Amino acid sequence: MSDSEQPETETAVSQPQWPENGGQWSDEEGGAGMDECGLAEMAEEDEEIDIYNNETFGMEVVDTEGDPTNPLFQFGEKPPALPALPSLSPSSPPFSPRARPQLRVQGPPGRRGRGQRGGQAMAQMFEDPAVVRTVEGRPSLQVITIARSIVSTCREMLFSSYVGVSCNGDVLFTQVGGLPSPRPCPSTPQPLTPKMMQLRFGANSPRPSPFYSPSSNRVQRFRFPGPVTQLHPQHRRLLSQRQQRSQRKPDSWDPYCNLMSAKEKEWIIRLQMIQLQSENPHLDDYYYQEYYRRMEAKLAEEELGMRGKREPPKLTTPYVTKMDSYTPVVHIEGSLGQVAVSTCFSPRRAINAVAAHCPHEELKDIRQQRLDVLKKIEKVKYSKWHLQGVEAEEEFLPCLLVSKGKQLLARLLPFLSHDAALKVLSMVTSHLPVLMSRDSDESLPVLYPSLRIVIGGMTFSQLIGVLKDFTASLPDSSDGSVCLSLVCQSKFGLSLLYALLSQGERLLSSDVPLEPSIGDFETWTDTVFLVASQLSQSALVEPLLLPSNLLTLFCRYLDKRTIHQLKSNMESATGYLALPS
Amino acid sequence: MLFYSFFKSLVGKDVVVELKNDLSPGDTRSAHATGLWENVFSYLEDVDKGIQEHSESYLSICGTLHSVDQYLNIKLTDISVTDPEKYPHMLSVKNCFIRGSVVRYVQLPADEVDTQLLQDAARKEALQQKQ
Repeated sequence: MSDSEQPETETAVSQPQWPENGGQWSDEEGGAGMDECGLAEMAEEDEEIDIYNNETFGMEVVDTEGDPTNPLFQFGEKPPALPALPSLSPSSPPFSPRARPQLRVQGPPGRRGRGQRGGQAMAQMFEDPAVVRTVEGRPSLQVITIARSIVSTCREMLFSSYVGVSCNGDVLFTQVGGLPSPRPCPSTPQPLTPKMMQLRFGANSPRPSPFYSPSSNRVQRFRFPGPVTQLHPQHRRLLSQRQQRSQRKPDSWDPYCNLMSAKEKEWIIRLQMIQLQSENPHLDDYYYQEYYRRMEAKLAEEELGMRGKREPPKLTTPYVTKMDSYTPVVHIEGSLGQVAVSTCFSPRRAINAVAAHCPHEELKDIRQQRLDVLKKIEKVKYSKWHLQGVEAEEEFLPCLLVSKGKQLLARLLPFLSHDAALKVLSMVTSHLPVLMSRDSDESLPVLYPSLRIVIGGMTFSQLIGVLKDFTASLPDSSDGSVCLSLVCQSKFGLSLLYALLSQGERLLSSDVPLEPSIGDFETWTDTVFLVASQLSQSALVEPLLLPSNLLTLFCRYLDKRTIHQLKSNMESATGYLALPS
Repeated sequence: MLFYSFFKSLVGKDVVVELKNDLSPGDTRSAHATGLWENVFSYLEDVDKGIQEHSESYLSICGTLHSVDQYLNIKLTDISVTDPEKYPHMLSVKNCFIRGSVVRYVQLPADEVDTQLLQDAARKEALQQKQ
């Protein structure tokens, strides 16, 4: 900044002829060529500025003549100038090619001091345009005018800065307030300089980031580094604690504050902070982050100790629920998204389509409700038909593919007539492979209790008929045991099988006359053998209920070895003894 | 960024900043920093006498660290000078901005520094620099 301003001032300076010796400088009023009125005016201003300076810097420096040790002269010059500066006698050679004026002030001590200071300051001022100092003393009007113009320019340039007095840039001494508002210089009434406009540009910059919290409390002795600085929360807490602790009497109002608007300050601070942004703060800012993290942990620990034993926070990995991606309800291979299925004129098609293509999904919400309604209607229709003796088996199956349908059926079964229930059972068993394969949510077991009751009321012939389905081969398979092996893997299927066998055993061991049809017993024994062999071979799942008379049944038909195998197999599945043998 | 990070952690703590007083003929910025002509002349006297170091003439500023930037410029608030008689011009100054290049020492409160962590951070920095 100082560099850019220097050419400006140098041009101003180069015009007048600086006197070689200080004799030209006079502090007497009415010196040659001076306009008394103008001078008086300027002198008044000088005094006001001096008062400000004194208030700012406190000291009334009284220098003896030619005393170089005025501490207010912070602003050294270039090396060639240095040694020569202290000698202020008129006869001393100029410091620099620019012919620094030699000041010799005579007058009252106070004034002299100021004058000297002012003179020296003026001398330095042209070296350092950033200096805001006014000329004290009584130089020629021409010099004064030039000096004033420079001063006012400098002042206005610095209007937006926070700096009271500045030097070449190494140490800036600031007041909390800053400069006083610039007085319009009579000689150069200047509006905003371009430089100032640039500075003001900051106010038009975009708003600060959301985490800005302006500190409007001027009373604080210690202020937060700035709105844009992000402090670790622990650090922030510490700082605020300190502030609370060191609450002193509030400072009196500073008349020189608020020269920069908050926006401007933010803008400048943001300029700096942007450079400090990093993508990897944990690495770039390691010490700070880690330090305060540890402090936080320590404090938390201490707190824990104070409040007694508390469960330390578990290091839990947050479970991120996978966003439900849109899955079309009806999906045809190769098509995009949902296929439009008309439901108004052909509800069955919609239901079928849904059931056929999305067997694994639980239908949700509106679709689910809609289907429920449809199914209820269906059920009512079905039961009505059954009461009328109409077969409606095919329509029943899709309902069972949905878990809700199974639940409904389970609730419905007790209300059906025995024949109807039997029909349901036979339907279930005949389509068991399909049902089992499509029972992804394992809701088939809800049917088990109701079906068991149905089975309990079956006659032997009916039982045989149903059992045939178990041993029946799948349409696309010649091996009759495929169905059974599937059954072994299904809780429901296995339980159903057990229930049937148990029922058969019960019937056989009871005294009730069986009234079997022709071939029933053979089928029965065949089935038992088949089932036993299958059960002993394949791994069994745990059934919903293991009837107690099963092994008794098997004992009657099978050899010991097979029975042992069977028993161990069943026991391993259930986890407890199938039967006390 | 190590020193910046380190100093950031000291924001709000009281520190003493000792400024450089090197007055090699080519270096006038430091001279401005101290600003005392008597310093200059006494230095020159020493140079005449052949003394290399000029002791006990460094300006030390004690204050609360307000902020720091990537150049390690330091802003201190509520400052006091260790030798007010020598540097009376500082009596009225409450806050100051110190250019990082003129800082000779920064005296820190020992309990605010985690040396172990500092070592770790230094190692990390060295590793980063290598990459």
